[in-house]
Amino acid sequence: MQKYWSVLFGAVITAAVGLFVVAPFMGWWLPRNVSSFGGDVDLLFYLILGITGFFFVLTEAILVYGIWKFSSDPTRKATYTHGNHKLEVLWTIVPAGILVMIGIVQVRTWENIKYQSRMPRPGANTQQIEVVARQWEWRIRYPSPKRMASWRSDPRLAQDFGAVPHQDDVHVPNELHVWRHQKGEEPQKVLVHLKTRDVLHSMKLVNLRLMQDAVPGKTIPVWFMVEEYNTSLHPETGRWVDGFDPKTGHWNQKDYVWELACAEFCGTRHTAMKGKLFVHKNRDDFLEWLKWAEAEDHRRTPAVPSTEP
Amino acid sequence: MSVSIPHEAGAHQHPQLSFLRKYIFSEDHKVIGIQFMFSGVIFLMLGGALALLVRLQLGWPHAQVPILDKIMGDGSAGGRMGYDTYNMLFTMHASVMIFFVIIPLLTGAFGNFLIPLQIGAPDMAFPKLNMMSYWFMWPAFTIILISFFAHGGAASSGWTSYPTIASISMPAGQGFESPAQAGSGWGQILWLMSLIFVGISSMMGSVNYITTIINMRCSGMTLFRMPMSVWSLFITAILQAFALPVLTVALFLQLMDKTLNTSFFLPPGTLNFGNWQTGPGGGQTLLWQHLFWFYSHPAVYIMILPAMGMVSDVISTFSRKPLFGYKPMVYSITGIAGLGFIVWGHHMFQSGMDPRLGTGFMLATIMIALPSAVKTFNWLGTIWQGNLTLNTPMLNALAFVSMFVIGGLSGIFMAATPVDVYIHDSYFIVAHLHYVLFMSTVFGIFAGIYFWFPKMFGRMMNERWGKVHFAITFIASNGVFYPMHILGIAGHMRRIADPEQYQFLKPLMPINEFMSISAFVLGFGQFIFLANLFYSVFWGPKSGRNPWHSNSLEWTAPSPPPHGNFESPPVVYRGPYEYSSPEGEEDYLPQTTPPGETKPAGEAVPQHA
Repeated sequence: MQKYWSVLFGAVITAAVGLFVVAPFMGWWLPRNVSSFGGDVDLLFYLILGITGFFFVLTEAILVYGIWKFSSDPTRKATYTHGNHKLEVLWTIVPAGILVMIGIVQVRTWENIKYQSRMPRPGANTQQIEVVARQWEWRIRYPSPKRMASWRSDPRLAQDFGAVPHQDDVHVPNELHVWRHQKGEEPQKVLVHLKTRDVLHSMKLVNLRLMQDAVPGKTIPVWFMVEEYNTSLHPETGRWVDGFDPKTGHWNQKDYVWELACAEFCGTRHTAMKGKLFVHKNRDDFLEWLKWAEAEDHRRTPAVPSTEP
Repeated sequence: MSVSIPHEAGAHQHPQLSFLRKYIFSEDHKVIGIQFMFSGVIFLMLGGALALLVRLQLGWPHAQVPILDKIMGDGSAGGRMGYDTYNMLFTMHASVMIFFVIIPLLTGAFGNFLIPLQIGAPDMAFPKLNMMSYWFMWPAFTIILISFFAHGGAASSGWTSYPTIASISMPAGQGFESPAQAGSGWGQILWLMSLIFVGISSMMGSVNYITTIINMRCSGMTLFRMPMSVWSLFITAILQAFALPVLTVALFLQLMDKTLNTSFFLPPGTLNFGNWQTGPGGGQTLLWQHLFWFYSHPAVYIMILPAMGMVSDVISTFSRKPLFGYKPMVYSITGIAGLGFIVWGHHMFQSGMDPRLGTGFMLATIMIALPSAVKTFNWLGTIWQGNLTLNTPMLNALAFVSMFVIGGLSGIFMAATPVDVYIHDSYFIVAHLHYVLFMSTVFGIFAGIYFWFPKMFGRMMNERWGKVHFAITFIASNGVFYPMHILGIAGHMRRIADPEQYQFLKPLMPINEFMSISAFVLGFGQFIFLANLFYSVFWGPKSGRNPWHSNSLEWTAPSPPPHGNFESPPVVYRGPYEYSSPEGEEDYLPQTTPPGETKPAGEAVPQHA
């Protein structure tokens, strides 16, 4: 009768595997990826999932079968052995090889996402945004349309955006606006200067497969490039609204609202410190929005624009 | 507790002691071990209750629970849990479970109880230091409990206590309030003080364990005849001795930042809190993370290696088969411990640390899966062609192996830096850490308690209820922790009080609810264990010396062993895992059986299966 305990182990493991099989169909899975490097991240995720899944099923199957097959039998004596040198070598070398392989294939994508050397240079073609986290909101600073135009005439002027705020820069809380990169055309990369004014925060954008902590006293560069857009001028309200599905031309809250979350605990209202990512179709759309936002910003804070870091 | 001194044994060396010296301020390693065990079990109930409140909030974030405002006070007005309350709950759940349950249970309880018995020593090398190591836990217990009633509530900045949220308080003379977060004022100061005491206690323990194992092994007990439990506790003690001073220093530095206006972890310049400003100089926020994880990553292994050792003993005993690959098992533990010191940076991949360091830490971290895999394969090899007795300790040990596979494999996802960019600080890591610390370590602890209970108290625990408890725990805990993987893959952040704030998390609420229900089943299922434990201490059937027909030295001593442990100093002739040897008539040959003899020495007792 003892051997039936193996059924309990087997059932739990089967349920575990089953959950991973059904979850994607239930919508409990990786959110839609829209960034240029997100595909690489997903690929590496699936690679590790495949390898670990295989070894998971293998070891658990051996365990469950072993419990079934070798459970107590008074007529039998256990095999007397202290081990097997060949087996030990085999099951050291094979996993070691696989693990080294897993490690090596990560390096390029990691470099691509985070290395300083891969960050887009400030210039005419780089979208620059400053994100200043504070309890509990995202203060986001954009260059004014005028400042952006000056970068076109002299790209060197773009160098100081992260360090030097201008009077006429545009401030928008909790809304991260960028424009899309269209495949096959000149890269439209976004360079974020990430800062915090109080405690640790972390900028997490699940649809971009991106996360980066903000650290007091530091400015951390973050880059990404978005390959789809979700923002359009709403015909009824006349405002730029996200959730736009370009394929259907309708508003789709489920797949086209891309949220920005704080992922490093930052105090009381940590859970409510959220924003949204608005991706415009192209630079022109973005500039349209930016002009509107500039006017809004001036209306809100007519006299003293914030110049704090 | 029934650790008593039989008249015939050892009484001449150890005169009868007063009740106070025997049970309270005892220098006997077994009593100290049992004291650690009961303290740990009591705090396990507290930590579990905090976890259930966390699950209550996550399962039903907008529910109004009538009793909440009574137990939580103003923070949860109207029965809806306040954010600050929730933040305190997850902080204190982790702190209690790690520093007051798992570490005291593994090293305090089993380390104390098992080391002298399994190496054939009469006691620890420094019995008074040993007693002190337990009694230094009491200030820690007291302070951490008081902190729940402190102004602003108990610590609420996460068990990691990252600056600046944890380390800021108002300038000296304005009271130790925090401008950053309720609970990171007085609550955090008490938290730091309490942990300093825990650290000192652990350091005294680890010095004692190392000395005892090196110097006090009985005749014939070579290093490679030690049971895996002793090996793992030995390596753990070394880890503690080298890593803990770093944490203790870091705790002091943060305490000074909070009370004396130093700025070890505060950047120069101003932070955005009213009239608050940094003291002179200026430090590094990330320095804390480095110091903290330099201890806390080895601590992860401190929290699992002893369980691995105990599980190895249990599995070999009930497979009636020598441990497969004893030496590779020892080398694996050593490998895990060695690598454990150079992987702390994997907690900081997204922290703003130079990403080039991340690459190095990733490669080291991925390689630590190797010794873990070797251990798993060797456990499977031990079971293979064994003759398994599936009783309560064995089932818990098998659950350890089965669940450790999940916890080990899921670690590779986080180790891989690009994948970690996505799943860092998500529920995937929460799943991983609970598969290691709860599903593995706690099953290992259960296996250890069921297995050594007869030696601790001379009585058996109830087998039927033990199995019921196992089945409930195994099913319900998978119900709680397994779906967390899915939440993490879907992007669910950890440490958020209300997932419904986010549109992309709303479809996941049924999973959250299911997990919470499982958590309550799991929590209340533990009362079966508690009842079994306390009942059996007094009324369980007598066990005799060696109810499991096990080989290691502790089973040759009386149950419970007297002060001084053995009637005469034991002599060891063979390794600890000689089961089903063709040499013997029975299927076991205790370590004290001289060469040439074929029958186990000592009293014959019926085996309780």
